[in-house]
Amino acid sequence: MAGMMTVFRKELSDHLGSKRFLILFAIIILLSTLSAYQGADYIKNNPDAGFLAIFSGGRLAFSFISLMVYFGPLVGLALGFDSINKERTSGSLSVLLTYPIFRDSVFNGKFLAGVAAIASLVGGTIVIMCGVATPLLGFGPTLEQMVSIVALTLLTILYLAFWLSLGLLFSVLAKKTSTSMLASIATWLFSVMIVSVIAALVASLMVPLPFQPLGAPENFRGFGQATQTEEYRSLMQARSEIQTNIGRISPSNLYNEAASSILGLRASAFFVVGGMQQQIRPSLAQGIAASWPQVLAIFVGMLACFVISYLRFLRLEIRPGG
Amino acid sequence: MPERIIQTSGLTKIYGEVTAVDQLNLEVNEGEIFGFLGPNGSGKTTTILMLMGLTTPTSGTGRVGGYDIIKNSRDVRRIAGCLPEAAGYYEDLTAKENLDYFGQLADLPRVKREKRVNELLEFVGLGKWRDVKVEKFSRGMKQRLGIAQALIKDPKIIFLDEPTIGLDPQGTKEVRDLILRLNREQKLTVFLSSHLLHEVQQTCSRVGIIRQGKLIATDTIENLSRGIAKEEGYCVEFELDKVTRRLIEEIKTVKGVTSVEEEGGKLLVYMERDNRADVSRAITKYGATILLMKPREYTLEEIFLRYYKGAG
Repeated sequence: MAGMMTVFRKELSDHLGSKRFLILFAIIILLSTLSAYQGADYIKNNPDAGFLAIFSGGRLAFSFISLMVYFGPLVGLALGFDSINKERTSGSLSVLLTYPIFRDSVFNGKFLAGVAAIASLVGGTIVIMCGVATPLLGFGPTLEQMVSIVALTLLTILYLAFWLSLGLLFSVLAKKTSTSMLASIATWLFSVMIVSVIAALVASLMVPLPFQPLGAPENFRGFGQATQTEEYRSLMQARSEIQTNIGRISPSNLYNEAASSILGLRASAFFVVGGMQQQIRPSLAQGIAASWPQVLAIFVGMLACFVISYLRFLRLEIRPGG
Repeated sequence: MPERIIQTSGLTKIYGEVTAVDQLNLEVNEGEIFGFLGPNGSGKTTTILMLMGLTTPTSGTGRVGGYDIIKNSRDVRRIAGCLPEAAGYYEDLTAKENLDYFGQLADLPRVKREKRVNELLEFVGLGKWRDVKVEKFSRGMKQRLGIAQALIKDPKIIFLDEPTIGLDPQGTKEVRDLILRLNREQKLTVFLSSHLLHEVQQTCSRVGIIRQGKLIATDTIENLSRGIAKEEGYCVEFELDKVTRRLIEEIKTVKGVTSVEEEGGKLLVYMERDNRADVSRAITKYGATILLMKPREYTLEEIFLRYYKGAG
């Protein structure tokens, strides 16, 4: 791969020194550190929660996972969206390609540099979080929990790499950086917000709930009783299934599910043992197995974006000025 | 017989329905400055892109420095430097960092690269500016950086696509002087594309004229000029102390004179063959004095326009 390492080194040092990356890194480090404090606090109040709760933060809304669900895409897209078209418009791409390198080395070098930047961001953040939480709690992760943390790190890198390759795709397809930036913002909003809204809407249209007159206090009582019926519960169940399934077209939801599985939050469910609700934590292997379909879906999405943009880039006509 | 450094046969590039380059047969000798002349959109840039292996020809073949431009395009790019049209650099890197990056891409080892970058920056007159970010550079400086960039791999030939476009007279002169120095001091072959006749005339030993993708003439500037002269017949420029209508009529009656034109106080006398003696005798007989008499030479502009109209 002639030239790939050269492109890789240059792009990586560009990323790590760019204001864009440093701002996002600073925001994420700050919020993650705060969420580690919150997580540690939660664990103190819930001794059963275990070390991994620093990433999910318990009831508190701002956890590492939700941070990655919402802000992670921005990091990936920010590193990719103008990667190719900026060089096309500035004319440096046509200079670059007059060198004895393969055209795909340029693309691969840029992608790998983006992944490396993402990996340093995610890895750094997680290490800092552990570093903040351990002295607060007075104990660190067990060996199994460490493996979970590594799995979570890899999953997060994969998720951000998906957004990176989507950004790269936009930068190959659109000639103007403003176009690819708008496309990036649109897909980000779609993934983190719009899909959930659509899913809720579709679910409520497909499974209408029986009419519940409201008004008088007795009706409220009636309403409360109605929600306890078997029929009502099965309707709500159907609704939430539809909602989850539609939600899965969003990579953010896939990541959320996979990360929850790895941290042992999702597959656990609540088992009713002896009349008491008790949370049974699944083993690490079970968690990883449960996250597998989502991981695979994110990976396939990343691969698809990568392959399409790679092929388009190889066929790009290098005409001056675009 | 000089060595051919560029040779193409039937090189053709079709974009959709537009034939950008049409059956181009081009030969460039080692050590010359070859001017590739044509109006905008005539296929100059496309030809350079094909020769550098940046775009694949629809049909036809070519060789640069002995390497096939399709099968061995990487080898071509190893020995040929190029300053593409509308070239750009990494604005947030310094001149030195930009060149260093290109040096890495050209596979130069670190020590050699550092030396070469510094030499080239001095050569193009950017020594003082080496640690300044390129975003602060003027157009002329960027273009000189571009020439340094094209030279970093120590090429056998460099392609310069419209190197002086958008430069002020000072910048144009600097770039032109650099090109001439490179050719003289390092015996570098230069392939220069331009739509500026005047520029080509001042630098190039041989020119190729391209029009709508077709190469319509290749030769030295003198030969092209002579060729036109032959077609136009013989023309002599006279400067007289006085010019009257009757004198013009008088000259027209001289045997062999086809037409007489008055142009800015000068007379252009066209004749079938060299018949200066009879014409000057007629003028003297009429009572006018000849201040200057010289055979008409064609400027490149005239040759150029002539080829443009003629071939249509």
